Parts: sequence; structure tokens; C-alpha cells
Amino acid sequence: MKLKSATKLPALLTCVEARPLTDLAEVELSGCYISDLLSDVLANARPGVLWVTIQIHRNVVSVASMKDITAVLFTCGRKPEQDIIAEAAEKGIMLLSTPLTTYETAGKLWKAGLR
Amino acid sequence: MTPAVTIEKRKAAAKVEQNAHGHKRFRAVHARLTGAACKPADPPEMSLETGAAEKPVTPPPAVESAPNAAEKRQVSFAQILVFELRVRDAMTSPPITATATDSLRSIQHLMKAHRISGVPILANDVLVGIISIEDIINALDGGHINESVEPWMSRKIVTLRDHFSLVRAVAEFDRHGYGRFPVLDANNQLVGVITRGDITVCLMHHLERRAEEAVAKEAALVATRAADEKAHRIVINTDVKSGDFESAGKLSQRIREVLRARSVAPEILRRAAIIAYEAETNIIIHSLGGRITTSIDAIKVRIRAVDRGPGIENVDLAMQEGWSTAGPLARELGFGAGMGLPNIKRCADEFTIQSELGGGTRLQAAVFLHKAETRL
Repeated sequence: MKLKSATKLPALLTCVEARPLTDLAEVELSGCYISDLLSDVLANARPGVLWVTIQIHRNVVSVASMKDITAVLFTCGRKPEQDIIAEAAEKGIMLLSTPLTTYETAGKLWKAGLR
Repeated sequence: MTPAVTIEKRKAAAKVEQNAHGHKRFRAVHARLTGAACKPADPPEMSLETGAAEKPVTPPPAVESAPNAAEKRQVSFAQILVFELRVRDAMTSPPITATATDSLRSIQHLMKAHRISGVPILANDVLVGIISIEDIINALDGGHINESVEPWMSRKIVTLRDHFSLVRAVAEFDRHGYGRFPVLDANNQLVGVITRGDITVCLMHHLERRAEEAVAKEAALVATRAADEKAHRIVINTDVKSGDFESAGKLSQRIREVLRARSVAPEILRRAAIIAYEAETNIIIHSLGGRITTSIDAIKVRIRAVDRGPGIENVDLAMQEGWSTAGPLARELGFGAGMGLPNIKRCADEFTIQSELGGGTRLQAAVFLHKAETRL
């Protein structure tokens, strides 16, 4: 599958006005998965995706780690607690936060070429 | 070994020769019958008298002075045993005896009752003679079966010492052709009777014991290996508290670390982690608390989750995707999707769940580590 440059992580920042919560590496995303139900993510998300959710609980990091999810984007301006951010960083999961709603975020990411 | 039939023939022939011509004649016949390999017999005084000293027996030369390993191996364990084992190890003790005043008829009954073919005759606890089955046959034939033993018993008795080696005993059997020897101890007391059969049984018994020891040694080795395998097995016991969302995920993290260290394929590792995570969150969300026991060995990861209740009212319903009884807090946190149990089932190679309302729920799932298929 041919990926546009926009599917690389830091480039996505601009289109959704996201701010990084952890250090970001320049990596390509294999796709995107949007869900606020952890079991749904466990069952259906593919490894290497960007996960978009409003959940900011510690279990998000656990689930992301379990599924080898590359990055988690929190919508509606939500941010997890600092120790959860630290845990994610330790596990190599990148975290970002956007002021946009999940719907707006999904639309912009799709338009930017993340499929 | 000489076939049994030949031994019997030889014995019978030797007996006849002995009766007719005495020991000297017998020895010559015996030597002829047994062939060149048979050493010339010792003087009668040495071997026939009860007080004869044990003649030192040379061990098989191949053991000590074998020029090469191939020859060494020709000495069987049985051959070594016959040098190590003593007459006292093989003899029947205490012996079946009779007295000189007993009738030949009573000896006949004694032989029949004990299935023996020779009875030592005692007078005041001293060995004075022996009656063999041939003597009984002769008595039946001659019509003196009801007479007393005394005039008919053989008084020339060849005995063995209880400390003689079995190889010496075998040599004496070969030399004299008797079916049995009375055995005396150092005080000239009759302590037993030995037959060729006793020697065979004794050797078989020791060989069997040796074989059993070898088997036991092998079994111990296998057990040690199993223990090593077990040492390779990791068991993780995790107590899970009701409502403790903060701790969720630690167990599956640990499982992933162990499996990654063992180079387990990522998708298999992920399945095991998801099962542990879903089982853990199920206990946190739905139960009063419980415990998850995870065992990891070279073959599989087994996850057993047991909680203290309240139990699932309808397990079939709970297994349906989307069906959940999770409370608002759990749902707010992203749990309660009704996908936990279906997720576990999908990830597991083996899966069982038992639950009853008012009791607890027992869930067991296993993931095989070396199955190539990708499930998620």
C-alpha cells in the first residue's frame, strides 16, 4: 500500500491541530482505528495504527501496548494524567491530544490521506 | 549352555556308573560325557568330604586381563554374578528333611508334597544320608517302599559349604551329576539344599533386580529432566480486586515480557496478553474479586481465572458479543463493551467457562506457543 507523506506522524499534527504529549518519532502509520471501547480495540485494531479515542484512562496505554499500537490521539482536548503519559513513553507509545471532536478528527485524517 | 535334556541324560548315566563302579569310575565317565572343557576332578577327599575347604576359584580371566574391550564385553553380567553370589544366596533354606527311622513311603509323600527330588536324612541333627527320587523308584520297584529309610539311603554324601561361590556349585553339579546338594555351614550344620534350579532362579532374580535398578536409574533421570522442564515453567498468581481499574494490564504486561524473552511469535504473544487482560478486567468490573493463575511452559500459556462471585446468570448470553452488565463507571472508562468473553474465546486455543449465580465463575483458556496460525 502506497502511503502519502501525510500518513507520517508529525505531519498529521498540523491537520488536526494536535499537540504531542510524548516525544514523537517520524514513523509511518499502518492506518487508523477509532473506538472508545477497549475490548473493541483489542479485538479489531491492527498493529501499527493510530488510535483515536476520548478515553484517557491508564488502560488505554495497556491496550495500546498489547496491540502494538503506534500512537494514541485523544480528542476533545483531553489529556491523561502525567504518570500515564510517562508510562506510555516508557512503553514506546506516542500520545497526542487534539481540541477537535472525534468526528472532526476522523474527517480531517481521512482527508489528509490516512486510510 | 548344555541343553537340559543332555544334562538329565548325563546325570542318569553318571548315576548308573557311580552305583556300579564307585566314584573313580564315575569321574572318568563324567569327564568323557562333559568333554575336554571339563577339568579333571579333585581327589575325592577334597571335594566329596563335607569338611572340604573352598578351593579358590579363579575369576574369569577376560575381566582382569582382557587384551581389548571387545573381549572384555564377552563376560556377561551373569558370569560375574556366579562368582559374587554364594551358595547360601541360592539354596532353599531351611531344608525339608527326614529321619533315618522314617519310612520310604513317608519320604515319597514328602517329595510329592514339596515337589522335591531329594531329602537329606538326619540323625540327632547330623546329616547321615540322602534319599533321592531314584531311591524311591527303586523301592517301589523292589517292593520295600514301606520299610524304613536307614538301609536304603545313600551314605556317601557330597555336600557344599554355604560360603561356596555359585560357580563352584555349578562345577560340583557338573562333576557329580547329582540333582541336589545338602549345604552345611561352618559348624557342619545342615542349613539348606541347593539344586541347579535354585542357582538359575537366584541368578534370574539378581539379574532382574539389576535390570530394575537400571530402570529406576533411567526413571530418576527422566524425573530430573522433567524437574528441569518444570523449572522452566513459570507460574504467576495474581490476586485481582474488584473495581481496581488502575492495576489492570500489569499481568498481561508480565506475560508479554516472559513470552517475548522466549521468542514467542508476536501474534501468539498478543493473544495470550489479551486473554489475561480481558479475564482480569472481567474480575475487576463484574466480580467481588478473584485470582488469575497463569502458567507458562514450553508448550503453552494457561490462564485460569477464578472469582468469588456473584456468578453469571446466563453464560450463553454473556458469550454473545455486545451483551454486558457493566456498570456506568466501567462503561465510562471504556469497559463494558460486551466483548470480553468473546474476545477471550477468539484468542484462545482452548477455552472453558463455568459459572453459577450465587457461586463464582471459573474461566480457563490456553494458548499454544508454537502454533503458526495467526488469530488476530
